[in-house]
Amino acid sequence: MDSKTTIRQYLTELLVRKGDRRPFDDDTSLLLGGRLDSIDTVEIILFLEKEFEIEIARDGFQRTQLDTVNMIDAFVRTAHLAAQ
Amino acid sequence: MPLRPTRALPFRLIPRIETYPGVVSLVQTIPGKAALLAVFGLLYAWTNPSALPLVLCLALLTWMPFRRHQLITVSTVIFAVVVPWTRLAQPVYNIGLITGVLALAAFLIWRASARPRSWYGRKPATILLAGFATWIAAISLVPWHIFRLAPIWDFTIIFGSYIWFIAYVLVDRQAEPVNRLGLEIGFLRPFWGALPTPLPNGTGYLRQIEARNAEELAITQLKGLKLLSWAALITLFSRVFVYFFHVYLRIPYFATTLAMSAHGAPAPWFVCWASLMLHFLENVMAGAILGHRIIACCRMAGFDALRNMYRPLSSVTVAEFFNRYYFYYKELLVTFFFFPIFLRQSPRFPKLRLGISIFAAACFGNVFFHFIRELLYIHDFGLWNAIKTFQVFFFYCVVLATAITISRLRKRKPLPAGFFRGTLRPALSVCLFYCLLSIFALTDRQYPLVEHLRFLGHLFFMN
Repeated sequence: MDSKTTIRQYLTELLVRKGDRRPFDDDTSLLLGGRLDSIDTVEIILFLEKEFEIEIARDGFQRTQLDTVNMIDAFVRTAHLAAQ
Repeated sequence: MPLRPTRALPFRLIPRIETYPGVVSLVQTIPGKAALLAVFGLLYAWTNPSALPLVLCLALLTWMPFRRHQLITVSTVIFAVVVPWTRLAQPVYNIGLITGVLALAAFLIWRASARPRSWYGRKPATILLAGFATWIAAISLVPWHIFRLAPIWDFTIIFGSYIWFIAYVLVDRQAEPVNRLGLEIGFLRPFWGALPTPLPNGTGYLRQIEARNAEELAITQLKGLKLLSWAALITLFSRVFVYFFHVYLRIPYFATTLAMSAHGAPAPWFVCWASLMLHFLENVMAGAILGHRIIACCRMAGFDALRNMYRPLSSVTVAEFFNRYYFYYKELLVTFFFFPIFLRQSPRFPKLRLGISIFAAACFGNVFFHFIRELLYIHDFGLWNAIKTFQVFFFYCVVLATAITISRLRKRKPLPAGFFRGTLRPALSVCLFYCLLSIFALTDRQYPLVEHLRFLGHLFFMN
């Protein structure tokens, strides 16, 4: 399974847990659009750290970098590149 | 902001008017807009007689949504400078100070954007908050004549009322640099309602949720009207509630039973319980009314913001209640205290990392937020005295942070099936916890911590 599918699947589960079954695409704004809140961002960070073995604790990180599926995917790829 | 699946109710006290196509179309016409504004204005004026300037500003925004950002700035400046003119003892002096604060805010925002790689540009909000705390300590402790001058303190108090708004603008511009300053200046204590906590949070969020066309504006405004109707209903209910319990049944207010306890003549235990439970429920209602009114006005201005409070009494965990009770305050604590700490810790110890971050927000952040609001007290009684007498609220924050940490870290089993065991029992337990905690959720410094603990003892037959 590619990273984007994994991220999408996780976000779907997270939204369903909150009672939100509305569809979303890879560019749907989930944080700034209000469907996910700051506590959910923590869950996403913990998930990304565990699933993709990346370190998010670094300077310049903004929560808005995790706003959409595409943005999270790009963030994971950049983090992997930076780690190499 | 639904956090758990909720069953669709067959009956709605206030219908979802924003889902009726006919109503949405009507609100896009000139008579429809006029009717919507009139109904909103009348409802708003019911609890706030000076609603006219607000309704006029909303009318401008309704008719000229393409000038929204500029109109918000103009409205906010009118509300900061013109509307309070007659209420101020020294209007020219106060307006001068407000203008000075706005100029300083604009400078701080510009400076962070102009030099993003500088020391200040990299952590503008943290430096702003730390700088303000240092400034308060300096003017309280350093015995210079200039720090005794009234304008210095007045300026600091006014700046303090703007500080979280400025901090949000700084954080948002750092996340997504924008060239314009229109919405940023309009967001500094916006005209739709300015509590110390910005409602809603930040210009980045506002830009995402603003209505992009006439239909979206109509739907957002109808949601605003619906929320104001909720505020009006809760207001009506709370008045009947207060009359029934405090006037008809003569149950004393919590302040009275606490005072009786502190003066050595406590009320019977059941009266203490009754007054405490009423105090808790009245606080929930007051919070709902205030939050709903402000968000309703924000929605009328064209921003589809989330509610500030969403069914807190149905929360089944301590953390969930905190999230639902005062959503934007929780977001503030997370933005300025939780995340900066969380992101600086190693993921090797996830529980410790989460616990420390929760304490940074719910304890330190909570204390800091409330303490810097108390500038008048610090001015009158000194910094050390202000810290010493803040013990009750500090205790409240420590207990709250501990409970939220446990609530977040505990491995939760799935809730048992059935309404009583699955929903009612956990919800009542959470409410009972917050009800007891509300004994300490006070910043009025009237009694020391021991008196609040003594009151807690009376509830459990300890005298």
